[in-house]
Amino acid sequence: MDHISAEELIDYVDGHISDAARNPIELHLAECGECAELKLEIQSLVLQLQADASHEPPAELVQWGNRLFQPLAQPSTGARLRKLVAALVFDTLDQPMLAGVRHAGTAARQLLYRAGDVDVDVKIESMESNERITLVGQVLATSTKFLENTPVKLESHGMTRFKTTTNLVGEFSFDEVPKDTYHLSVDLPEGQITLFCVHRGNS
Amino acid sequence: MNAAKYKSLGDPELISLCLKGDSQAWESLILRYRRLIFSIPVKFSFSPSDCSDVFQSVCLRLIEHLGELKDESKVSGWLITTTTRQCIHVRAQKRRETSTEDEFEEPTDPAENVETVRIQTQAEQNVREAVEQLQERCRKLLELLYFDPKDPSYESIAQTMQMPVASIGPTRARCLDKLRMVLRRRGIREK
Repeated sequence: MDHISAEELIDYVDGHISDAARNPIELHLAECGECAELKLEIQSLVLQLQADASHEPPAELVQWGNRLFQPLAQPSTGARLRKLVAALVFDTLDQPMLAGVRHAGTAARQLLYRAGDVDVDVKIESMESNERITLVGQVLATSTKFLENTPVKLESHGMTRFKTTTNLVGEFSFDEVPKDTYHLSVDLPEGQITLFCVHRGNS
Repeated sequence: MNAAKYKSLGDPELISLCLKGDSQAWESLILRYRRLIFSIPVKFSFSPSDCSDVFQSVCLRLIEHLGELKDESKVSGWLITTTTRQCIHVRAQKRRETSTEDEFEEPTDPAENVETVRIQTQAEQNVREAVEQLQERCRKLLELLYFDPKDPSYESIAQTMQMPVASIGPTRARCLDKLRMVLRRRGIREK
């Protein structure tokens, strides 16, 4: 018995065949397990491809993802300031919830970043009532005691939105800033540390 | 390096370039995995706004963890786990926000469902990667037919592909068959 070609089966699955051609294919499929299996394989593949269109994120969201990297992109010629991506070493969001704990207001999120021998501790408190967040943190170096008077910036949409400097013990704070996606950068003599930590959806 | 060259690079090469500050490498990574990331909150039946929030959170996490991922041959496994966790977190947060003190909240074990999502997401990613392995013409045709959000007409596809409308059907059948063969060669059969 001649089997149905994969191309014919694809046309059949897609409904791109005439009624006259459909009948013999269906008769064959009812009798031939091998072709019936191939039909299922093709059907599943086509369904998966069709479903994938609904998995396409909106173009502006993809652009947002692309722009996320901009603070880290090095100029093509002679970067004057070394840029360091801080690694996230602790995040309360990654911690499992305690059994039996019920929701009691919006909890603060605590994060710890590390770049070289510098640690940046950040705490984000979200205020649902006015759609604002308060961000406090501390820049600590293992080699020196405290990193005081260090510029710290909150950047979004390609510009610096808020600026401050660390106090005597390396602490900084941004009080009640509008919720948004920010890059937090810390300017040190050895380079600029960039953190990606403040996001309207996960703070 | 042009976009096609970036597209041909493996995940470790792209991550290594990202860590050197190459923004095009980052864009290629996002392009490669955008549908994988977005498909998971869709599977959790999240609203478009929650799907976007999850997508943004995962992009942020990917940047934060680039250094740890530089030796991973495939980022897809990490992304599936991270995105699924983020979805579970969002779902739990929403459940807590809407439940009242009087309600008895039955703890749920989503493990089985999560495993289904993981297997399905990986299978979809295998198909996407197989599409990437097809020759330019086939890949372009399948992308226009199945992935283009504008859902172009056959006439428009024929114009873009510079082929007669009548050839689209047979060419599509040949390309799908090639795709099936690529998946078989990689030891993956769609069932």
